[in-house]
Amino acid sequence: MSEMLRVIDFGRVTPLRSQTLWHAVAYGVSAGQPPTLSFARPSAPYACLGYLRDAAEIDQEYCRASGLPVYRRMVGGGPVYLDDRQLFFQLCLPANEVSPSRAAALRGMLEPAVAAFRAAGVDAGLDQDGEICLGDRKICGHGAGQIEDAVVVCGNLIEEFDHERATRVLAMPDPLQRAETLRLMRRYVTATPGDPQAFMQALAAACSAALGRRAVPGEISAAERERTAELDLRFSSAQWLAGPRRTATTGPQRRLVKVRAGIWTLAAQAPDGARLVASVVKGIVDRVVLTARGGQPHEAARPLTGMTVARAAGTLSTLGESGRLLAAVLAGAEGRL
Amino acid sequence: MTDDALREVSGFAIALDRAYAPATHMWVRPTGDLHVTIGMDPLGVETSGTLAQLSLPEPGQVLIAGQPFGQLEAVKFVGPLTSPVSGTVRAVNAAAAADPGLVEREPFTAGWLIKAILSDPADLGKLLTDPQAITDWYAARIADYRLSGAIAR
Repeated sequence: MSEMLRVIDFGRVTPLRSQTLWHAVAYGVSAGQPPTLSFARPSAPYACLGYLRDAAEIDQEYCRASGLPVYRRMVGGGPVYLDDRQLFFQLCLPANEVSPSRAAALRGMLEPAVAAFRAAGVDAGLDQDGEICLGDRKICGHGAGQIEDAVVVCGNLIEEFDHERATRVLAMPDPLQRAETLRLMRRYVTATPGDPQAFMQALAAACSAALGRRAVPGEISAAERERTAELDLRFSSAQWLAGPRRTATTGPQRRLVKVRAGIWTLAAQAPDGARLVASVVKGIVDRVVLTARGGQPHEAARPLTGMTVARAAGTLSTLGESGRLLAAVLAGAEGRL
Repeated sequence: MTDDALREVSGFAIALDRAYAPATHMWVRPTGDLHVTIGMDPLGVETSGTLAQLSLPEPGQVLIAGQPFGQLEAVKFVGPLTSPVSGTVRAVNAAAAADPGLVEREPFTAGWLIKAILSDPADLGKLLTDPQAITDWYAARIADYRLSGAIAR
């Protein structure tokens, strides 16, 4: 085990730096720096958006009024709320050292984190969706991406989780969807209080073992420092926050919010004003409200509860043109979150 | 594409009427007068996972062989779509951008990504174009991926 795994603890840093430092490391690894495990804890709360997500998924007005910065990261996943009760880790490897299968690469890079949770006394597991869970609750948010010739996977140790704020930063005009999202988030996302130092040591040891590399405390290079300064500017710009070009969706207005893999809420409105708000848990419609134009509840929605998404969509599609449009939105949401 | 061009190799479809960039699983189909259509082959789609988001360039954007022209997200993993040729984007598949599942369902037809005009026709010569070479490469790559666990056996 002669090759090295650089381990950098950035400590408590500004929200902006809690993003830009590890992005700079990814550019560094792409340019030849050794594989690197890094840690950072934001000194203040903020919201963050996955690389290809629509900035409108975050309630910008609320964030502005609450003093929460919003940044766009270069890895995947949805909009999230971050604060100083979450310790973030990033494992960054040269792209040619990870599996060509993204799912396999993710699993391989998250397995050390599972070992670290276990070492910290949390009976964590990697579920079939590739999420780190305790039972049926998600305990670690993750995202991954390729930045030039480096692949980076990020995750967190959640010491406390502010479910209300994590829901509040999300743009959801429909109050019922917001309430349902909060209910499901409380049920399916949880914190695992643990000793962060023990977690960091265990993760470094697990990554070292998994990669066959000696974990060595390190620092960022001069080039990575320069890159950090460049990224500070890039990530602070309105143009960057707006994100890459997006193609407008067609059909009914919809807002889809993922709570964790297989668990999501949907609010959609047909052109005639009919509205659907649905909560889905592992492919089954958990709760659903359908209102006709004018706001009165549509009794036909009652039997949809407990149905599979596909079956519920099939039933909805029999309820006229608006039912058909809402059914298409519901069916199309499954599996693409 | 004619049915004659479509083959199955070890359980994966491959179209033999176009060129391939082996490292990135992108295909290039010449459509005349330096015009090409570019997409991703089924093995590239399979290793990506269920496609959730697709970001494609604007028409007029310059393509550089070996450089990203867009991004895709699958399993919360964002990665580049790497251009196999240099040129200029002429059209973008808005249907695929709006419904990335189209790339999974019809990778060689309706699931194309962009149309472009080549700036250097010699780029095509750097890709795999011979049907036998394409078939051999594809079979070997599938075998490698199965052996390493990147795709199901």
